[in-house]
Amino acid sequence: MILFSQLMMTGIMMGGVYGLMAVGIILIVKSTGVFNFAHGAIVVFGAFIFWSFLVQMGLPFWVCVILLFLWAIVLGFLVERLVLRPLIGQPLLAAVMATIALGEILNGVVVLLWPGPGRVYRPPFLPSGAFHIGEITFPYNQVACFAFCMVALIIFALFFRFTRTGLAMRGASEDHQLARSLGIKVERIFRLSWIIAVATAAVGGIIAASFMSVDPGLDGLGLYAFPAVIFGGMESIVGGVVGGISVGVLQNLGGGYLDRFVGGGIKEIAPYIIMLLILIIKPHGLFGYERIERV
Amino acid sequence: MHERPCGTYDVRYEQTISMAVLRTPFHKIMLAFFLLFLFTVPPFTFSIYILSVINVIGIWIIVVHGLNLLTGYCGQINIGQAAFMMVGAYASAILNTKFGFSFWICLPLAGLITGLVGLIFGLPSLRIKGFYIAMSTLAAQYVLPWVIIHLPELTEGIFGCPADSPTIGGFVFDNERKWFYLIMVFAILMTFFARNLVRSKIGRAFVAIRDNDLAAEIMGINIFRYKVLAFFLSSVFAGVGGALMVHYMGVAQYEHYTLLDSIWFLGMLIIGGMGSVPGVIFGVIFLKGLNEIVLAFSPFIAHVFPSLAETVAAAIGPIVFGVVIVLFLVFEPRGLAHSWETLKASMRIWPFPH
Repeated sequence: MILFSQLMMTGIMMGGVYGLMAVGIILIVKSTGVFNFAHGAIVVFGAFIFWSFLVQMGLPFWVCVILLFLWAIVLGFLVERLVLRPLIGQPLLAAVMATIALGEILNGVVVLLWPGPGRVYRPPFLPSGAFHIGEITFPYNQVACFAFCMVALIIFALFFRFTRTGLAMRGASEDHQLARSLGIKVERIFRLSWIIAVATAAVGGIIAASFMSVDPGLDGLGLYAFPAVIFGGMESIVGGVVGGISVGVLQNLGGGYLDRFVGGGIKEIAPYIIMLLILIIKPHGLFGYERIERV
Repeated sequence: MHERPCGTYDVRYEQTISMAVLRTPFHKIMLAFFLLFLFTVPPFTFSIYILSVINVIGIWIIVVHGLNLLTGYCGQINIGQAAFMMVGAYASAILNTKFGFSFWICLPLAGLITGLVGLIFGLPSLRIKGFYIAMSTLAAQYVLPWVIIHLPELTEGIFGCPADSPTIGGFVFDNERKWFYLIMVFAILMTFFARNLVRSKIGRAFVAIRDNDLAAEIMGINIFRYKVLAFFLSSVFAGVGGALMVHYMGVAQYEHYTLLDSIWFLGMLIIGGMGSVPGVIFGVIFLKGLNEIVLAFSPFIAHVFPSLAETVAAAIGPIVFGVVIVLFLVFEPRGLAHSWETLKASMRIWPFPH
């Protein structure tokens, strides 16, 4: 029972990070209709650049945050303008391949700028230590990260629900042409979505790096977000959060209970097996729209 | 492709555009010269290193032909072609080492086994399409290596499964030059197979499904059957390529068939031009050639910028790959095959602009 609770706890904490990643992907799907395969690479880039500001350059924390958001604005703008805008109206594969190529470019840039093995760092802004409830351990930094993810996700939800820009983004996701005829600047919406998504990815990367390490392997987190997106459904922010937490929990439970029977490694592939099952059983996910579409 | 020199007319039904591979005597002569050149000049003039690059190109052409059938013709995005190639490699190596079959039996069996594995991952296409299929093949890229690592009795796990060099009578294919002939024969055979397949009923059904699946269904095409068939055929090509690769390299290693390779195959398809058999050949040669040039130049870049020396080789490859893909997507989305047709047309009507 203790093992179960501990695994659940770790799963939920990890799931919060997956959820944050998934929301970044869903945001772009919702507004532009493009699935972003470069998300993992942006996560790595964001984590590295924050680490660079904070540790290499030794800047104060708040300056780092401001610089990170400036970087997110620049990168989001460049990506939208140089890669995605020329591909409007092209088939699905072109957009998919463009984001994959973008991921490769960013991976290359990261290797070029920060060569060698990963960097371990303990972020000074997160508390260290742990507290206990019964027999279950709650490390402070993981709890803080989870709380931060949840706050970020609630802000997103409120933003979509109650602001003018959020409404415009929802409108643009429904139909580009229709949104345009209602006076929404669709290009501006696309740009904004990419900037927010890049910022989300970077924040997710920084959080994950605080209990792993800053290295190109964080890329994998972006890939684990795909099963979360599929699980929750491609069009729903809530779905992304639920999907992320479910994937985190199932991954940890699978790793904890099944590893001894098959010789390890369940943790790495559990999300993908879940994804295959979801694709076969309920392809639109828990909260996705079931479009009337025969295949 | 649909134009021909003045004075050449189709007089029989078999000669019409979609029916014939070689339409004019000029085509036949060109092909004969090309084959003569291919089998005589490169093996004796090029260095062993260049021959090894050409051999890998030959194997990749087979694999990308499979991807082209599935993605280029049938419109189902596959981000796991390298995983299917790996299945073929391991199948052939296991049949060869553990069961003692010769290469000539292993190769077709490996193709068949890979086809069946590909079919399993094609099954979700019953209910989903487009982007979701890409996700199902991405899962293959993670699940299949895991299965291989966790069956060490059969696959030797992380150590890799050895495979023999093929033999005919007493003749052993054991160096680059001999392999060049073997791989080129297979590449040409598979190219003709792919070329013939796409102009058959099956190929036309694939194109119909890609262009509009609803319309295809109304015309009486069993969509699910043809999609699964596309997955099967694509994986057969991957399996044959993987089997060739494993006997060529001498050992099956799951680390040689990663997500990155799958992405490279897709990139080759984009650069060459999707839905075009010559495009596959152009794409593979272009991207592999570009990669070799980058590798050859990276010591030079390292010399100019010594601070970057250690990382240039690892970093420049992905950056160049990504930039080239984006440039092709933006400026020539129909790929090199389309450029080649444009070039041929402009040569034919020179010096007139139209």
